[in-house]
Amino acid sequence: MNKQEEFKEDLLRYYINPGKIEKAPEGFTLKVMGRIQMEEQLSAVSERSPKINLIPVIFIAVTLMLLAAALLIPGNESDKVALPLMNLLKNIKSSLPEFSLSSLFKLTLPSVMMYVCLGILVLTLFDRALYGIFHKEK
Amino acid sequence: MDYKGDAYYIDQILAGNSNAFSHIVDRHKNKAYNLAFRICGNHEDAEELAQDSFLKAYRSLKSFKMKSSFATWLYRIVYNTTISHVRIKKKGVLSLDDFPIDATDFIEKTTNEEEAEKEYRNSLVNFALQKINEEERGLISLYYYEEMTTDEISDITGISRSNIKVKLFRTRQKMQEIIEKVEKRKLTYHE
Repeated sequence: MNKQEEFKEDLLRYYINPGKIEKAPEGFTLKVMGRIQMEEQLSAVSERSPKINLIPVIFIAVTLMLLAAALLIPGNESDKVALPLMNLLKNIKSSLPEFSLSSLFKLTLPSVMMYVCLGILVLTLFDRALYGIFHKEK
Repeated sequence: MDYKGDAYYIDQILAGNSNAFSHIVDRHKNKAYNLAFRICGNHEDAEELAQDSFLKAYRSLKSFKMKSSFATWLYRIVYNTTISHVRIKKKGVLSLDDFPIDATDFIEKTTNEEEAEKEYRNSLVNFALQKINEEERGLISLYYYEEMTTDEISDITGISRSNIKVKLFRTRQKMQEIIEKVEKRKLTYHE
């Protein structure tokens, strides 16, 4: 180390006082420990209930339940509930001359199928809407 | 309470006693905070960054292999966290006029002139530190404040020992020039 370099180092040593270190503010340790505890609590909660998107799960479950109901419940048993709605739909005057609504109801499928289809449609729309909201938040 | 050594508390934490980490924080908080402060230059960010560094250290304690000392490992985390933060949040360059020319005025307000002079020198060094880049600030802080060897600094920063020597030499020159300019300005102001 040459003299000039020594002088420069000495000058900085004159200005820098190693004893003068900036001390951490009061409560620093408590804050760190608080953050650690909070993080541990959060990870414990997420371990108990793993983060999965529940919307498609509920959607599939409800759809399966409705399909099972449609297959298991015979058509004539649910007619008491379905009849008023059927009558209402039959009375709608279609503007399409070749399309007859009555022929649609001649099908042997149980009448609850209509509710199944409506349910699926509503849930699909609901699912898309929720997906849109959560996707925006991210 | 006697400090039983980093390794003792690390074992405790790994065995499931997370509260043992408070001893480690207590032990190293001032040096970690000081390093963050010298690099970033303000107290709010320094506190946040030092806390973040301790949290990072806690999370990755399992990966700490005891190859280096815990302090070296922790300072590496503080150094890297703070450097990345400063790089993202880079401020404009300070001008010499930003250092208050009447900074010595507070000498009269204090009872001890020697202490006041030390305070003045400290603020002047802090000012000069803000005029060099974040990497240079880290080196100066580790070398002068933490009084580490170039080998230890190399472990923390990942910069080679020879490169550290070169960088320290250049940084010293830069800081000396800044300090001399401010001192000259101060002299002409008081004349």
